Amino acid sequence: MRLLASLALQNLGRRKARSLLLIMAVAVASGVVFTGATLMRSIDSSMAVGFTRLGADMMVVPEGALTNITAALLTVEPTDLVLDQDLFARAGIASVGRAAPQKIARVEHSGIDSHHDSVDLIGFDPALDFTVRPWLVEKINRDMRQGDVILGAAREAALGSELLIFGKPHTVYGRLGKTGVGTHERGVFMTFDTFEALAGSVHGHGGGPPAVLQKGKVSGFLVELAPGATPLQARFAILSTLKGVKVVTGDSTMSGIRQGLAALLNGILALMVLMFTSTALMVSVLFSAIVTERRGELGLLKAIGARRGQIVGMMVIEAVIATGAGGVLGVALGVLVMRLYERSLVYYLENIGVPFVWLDGPRIVVVAAAAVVMASIIGALGSFYPAWRASRRDPYDLVRGEG
Amino acid sequence: MLSCRGLRKDYVTERGEVAAVAGLDLEIATGRYAAIIGRSGSGKSSLMAMIGGLSRPSQGQVTVDGTDIWSLSENALAAFRNKRIGYVFQFASLLPTLRLVDNVALPAMLGGDAGSSATYARAAALLGQMGLGGHLDAYPSEVSAGEQRRAVIARALINEPALILADEPTSDLDEQTEIEIMDELLAVNRERGTTLILVTHNLALAEQAEQIVHIAHGAIVA
Repeated sequence: MRLLASLALQNLGRRKARSLLLIMAVAVASGVVFTGATLMRSIDSSMAVGFTRLGADMMVVPEGALTNITAALLTVEPTDLVLDQDLFARAGIASVGRAAPQKIARVEHSGIDSHHDSVDLIGFDPALDFTVRPWLVEKINRDMRQGDVILGAAREAALGSELLIFGKPHTVYGRLGKTGVGTHERGVFMTFDTFEALAGSVHGHGGGPPAVLQKGKVSGFLVELAPGATPLQARFAILSTLKGVKVVTGDSTMSGIRQGLAALLNGILALMVLMFTSTALMVSVLFSAIVTERRGELGLLKAIGARRGQIVGMMVIEAVIATGAGGVLGVALGVLVMRLYERSLVYYLENIGVPFVWLDGPRIVVVAAAAVVMASIIGALGSFYPAWRASRRDPYDLVRGEG
Repeated sequence: MLSCRGLRKDYVTERGEVAAVAGLDLEIATGRYAAIIGRSGSGKSSLMAMIGGLSRPSQGQVTVDGTDIWSLSENALAAFRNKRIGYVFQFASLLPTLRLVDNVALPAMLGGDAGSSATYARAAALLGQMGLGGHLDAYPSEVSAGEQRRAVIARALINEPALILADEPTSDLDEQTEIEIMDELLAVNRERGTTLILVTHNLALAEQAEQIVHIAHGAIVA
């Protein structure tokens, strides 16, 4: 093995320019695959977070409620009108995937901000929520319980610290990231139990507590469509099944973008597979030429006693060394490209509040190792057949330049 | 003892099948110096390749010391070539990326004697015997054609073969170098008792042989 590796290295060193070109070609392919795979997985994770954070596909509120469409698909808007909390659970609408109930009360004199500032208190059900918790950037390491509150990004308070709301102590359980939506930025989020416990302190227009503070009543529902369902189907199903409700749809292009990006990522994956395949073919063609050029040398090696396995082994090791080196170089180039990417586009995206979640370190190492191993496998596969074919020939045919 | 029975080699060409060696019988006793002579295209090299296990015959048998070499498996034949036969080709047949000492040690290393100091000591000693003791670390391109050919003879001897096959080993050398190379080969034949089969055009070289095999059109004519 050491002898074959040594011969392979010497052969690579003999044709430095060609070896270097081969290494560079494989490096480009491996670099693209490594960078592509890492970014693709990162974009995929970011998309998962981003789209989850984008909230619901539509909102269902009491008929007659006013809605702010900008904030609508993150939280419902505070109104005096309410719906039953188990409305969707009872209806069982097939085109609705998830329906997260929310309670909202806009309050003053809560003690949270200065005296006249209004604050949105938002109640949600952690078991059904899919629009609030995805924004959590930090939290106490336990489940949320009664008396806990989550603060919007614009509020400063240490985790675990005490926050008085209408004089009642609450614990800061977590904080949300920047959403760009006022309701979230300055809102105080809590479970329904915590929310309803404030009933004695919050006063509605009539003087008594608003209806939304009653148990079993909510301001509205944030709805996510069932897979394959269209907003139109869901809207008709909801309006025909539920009485006294209004359906507010968000930007329907969001689901289009989600599907489009998924298709784009699949397209990139297909391109990467094609690129690796074409590199394997290129290596194979190159090694066919190398074997042809070195027929005399291979014939000589066979004549002096090299076995077929040794001939094939020498050529395959030579290819694996070259393509493996190309793989390592490609990963190094990929890391550089990703550093540039991080300092430009990712920096920009994060500045405007769009999350970008990099793959974690161990997974990046796995992707890098996979790129190098795949590059080496390409070398092995690409060189095996020409080497195997040459090894079958009689030494005399090879020495004479045939075969 | 080397024995060929009904040995035949056909090549397929655009003009049809051509018999390079046409059913040839031959015996060469162990330790002999035999010369195979004939005009270009007479089938000398094809015969030599079949005797040396380099080219599979279309028909017939080659037996070396009782072993039918073409009935051996691929790996066994490779081992046979490695251990029992030394080749001196008509072209410079050293690997250009290896030093002379590496080239000489290579057959032993391929045979499983990889990297041992004894192998390198033997290779150095053989190169010394060939007058190349001062060129152990030289690369083939750094020595003359005659020195390269001597290194090839040293390589042929590294595994102490029973048979040396030399296919026009001096065809591209000057007269003086030719004499020196032939002296080396004949010394191996005489001193080690190694059977030497030489393919040559040169009748003067052939006249020194104990057995001359004259081939024309793939058959022995004398």
